Amino acid sequence: MIALLKELAGAYGPSGREEEIRNLIERKISSKVDQVYTDALGNLIAVKKGQENGKRIMLAAHMDEIGLVASYIDDNGFIRVSNIGGINPYVAIGQRVQFQNGITGAVCYEESITDFKDLKLDRMYIDIGTKNREIAMECVMPGDIAVFCGETVEQNSRFISKALDDRIGCAILIELIEKMGDCPNEVIFVFTVQEEVGLRGAGPAAFGIKPDIAVAVDVTGTGDTPECKPLAIELGKGPAVMIKDNRTISHPMVKNALIECARKNNIPYQLEVMSVGGNDAGTIHTAAGGIPAGAVSIPCRYLHRPCEMVDKNDAVNAVKLLDAFIRMP
Amino acid sequence: MDTGTLVKQLCEINAPTGYENLSAEKIKSFFNPLCDEVYIDPFYNVIGYKKGTSPEPKKVVITAHYDQIGMIVTGYEKGGFLRISHLGGIDTKALLAREVVVHGREEVYGVIGAKPPHLLKENETGRNVKITELFIDTGFSDDTLKEKVEIGDPVSIAAPVVEMKNGCVAGKSLDNRAGVAALVLILEQLQNVKHPNDIYVVATVQEETELFGAVTSSYSIEPDLAVVIDVCHGDMPDVDKSQCFPLNRGVPVAVGPAFHSEYTNALFETGKRERIPTQRCIEPGDPGTEAWAIQVSRFGIPIVEVCIPLRYMHTTAELVSLKDIEAAATLVARYVSGDIIKTPEDIFQA
Repeated sequence: MIALLKELAGAYGPSGREEEIRNLIERKISSKVDQVYTDALGNLIAVKKGQENGKRIMLAAHMDEIGLVASYIDDNGFIRVSNIGGINPYVAIGQRVQFQNGITGAVCYEESITDFKDLKLDRMYIDIGTKNREIAMECVMPGDIAVFCGETVEQNSRFISKALDDRIGCAILIELIEKMGDCPNEVIFVFTVQEEVGLRGAGPAAFGIKPDIAVAVDVTGTGDTPECKPLAIELGKGPAVMIKDNRTISHPMVKNALIECARKNNIPYQLEVMSVGGNDAGTIHTAAGGIPAGAVSIPCRYLHRPCEMVDKNDAVNAVKLLDAFIRMP
Repeated sequence: MDTGTLVKQLCEINAPTGYENLSAEKIKSFFNPLCDEVYIDPFYNVIGYKKGTSPEPKKVVITAHYDQIGMIVTGYEKGGFLRISHLGGIDTKALLAREVVVHGREEVYGVIGAKPPHLLKENETGRNVKITELFIDTGFSDDTLKEKVEIGDPVSIAAPVVEMKNGCVAGKSLDNRAGVAALVLILEQLQNVKHPNDIYVVATVQEETELFGAVTSSYSIEPDLAVVIDVCHGDMPDVDKSQCFPLNRGVPVAVGPAFHSEYTNALFETGKRERIPTQRCIEPGDPGTEAWAIQVSRFGIPIVEVCIPLRYMHTTAELVSLKDIEAAATLVARYVSGDIIKTPEDIFQA
């Protein structure tokens, strides 16, 4: 999985600018599915046909990643920024970031800030090493988006990388496509856009597909690091079946089916109860008159940082769990 | 009709958000002579349709909301006074001592009372006033007032719209009658142009509450592309340059994740080709405009947004430049008259 994940996590694809990651995924899967197409918002949709009378199951993982958008370029060529998705200014300090055209910059803050409580993104900037605005504008236009740099490594059975949220979900779906073979149910794999700016792509995709049930595959936080907030999720204890988050209460049918699949097949699993956050299930479940939806979440440390960390076995077990789930009668 | 007169006439119409039924016919009368068909939908969106020349036309929608922020009567107070609440995001500090019109059984003029500084208690100074502390003075007796005004009647601010000597207009409801004026100008420009696609101009309702008019009209029309015209903040002293736009320096076009990058680039190209200057308006997330609602309607609808810089938003002294309205209209008219609609395959396989 590491080779695939390296390619996926390394690809550029902040919300609204998913061309590169979408093309990469399409190349990986197009020969292995019955149909693949892109919808009006840019969601990549791949269909594996089932048997007659089978159900239609939608699995969704988002392609987009968080980023920093150039909002204003000052006379000296320093680039002022806003956040695309959830970026904590403390996390951004000192990061190396890269624009779509390869231009690399350093994220810094105004030195007049003496108390870090005053730190906000609008007092930070990207320095791309240019002397003035004219030269900067040749490299970067307002509206261009930079993403964190953060190489993908595997170590002690764990993956560390930028954009594991949610390229690990994309990797899981791609592995499933490769391994699943024939299936009684039709499975529609959706690689969604613009999740990080408010779950924007998944709802319209679900409206178009109108599946019988849907499962989002995304990451979730953990409670297993020093002095962290209590949360009953740990790395390496299995993929988490979402019970609820701030946007969705999982449909009982979907949640129970996932738990049953895990039990029957001796796949380790955890239960996710979150009071914050949301994933694509949040807009899928109210689309097209209502679609029973839930989520399989991969425990992930250091969310929205360039060093997100997940356990390899959780990802492998998620593939197994979903493989069993799509065969449910 | 010159642009100044058009804008003045549009601004004098009162359409408090949620009560657009008062004025839908008036808005319709501006579209009537310029469209193949004009209709008012069940939500009071006013929709003008212009047929395209292509045998297989696509649908392009251009929206601008025509509702305005206002107030609503919540109760009576002895002595001919009315208590009020807000319709949309009204700024109470811009309400004090204003003249208003209550849209009751008949139109009733009143003023929003403001306690003189001499009578303010200590805890009433040094803070913004709450809308529940405000009242309208109508001068009627309690009994007469109850005959004329009911709880739930909407209230508009009565303020003149003034054409200034410098090519600007100032007054109430320019957010977003400036955009509606642009719709009319677009229709005028399209009169002698062959455009392949069907074009729908939609003056929408209830933007100031929850973008509801855009939600319902985009669901029913199901466009292939939506162009949203709304106001953005004009420049003024003591506001960061990155958060507002100078007047008469180009049409701000929205750029951000929500805005379709191919169609937005095509809009900038149109600007270059037609020598209409543009500015880039960066929207990292929810822009707070109808675009946000339209984008996720049905199967998902590609959106672009064109803005008109406006100073002092949500006050009775909103100020815009007529040239900016005309430039926005010309940019959009030239853009939508081209063969611009592409399939997702054309766009995403490039």
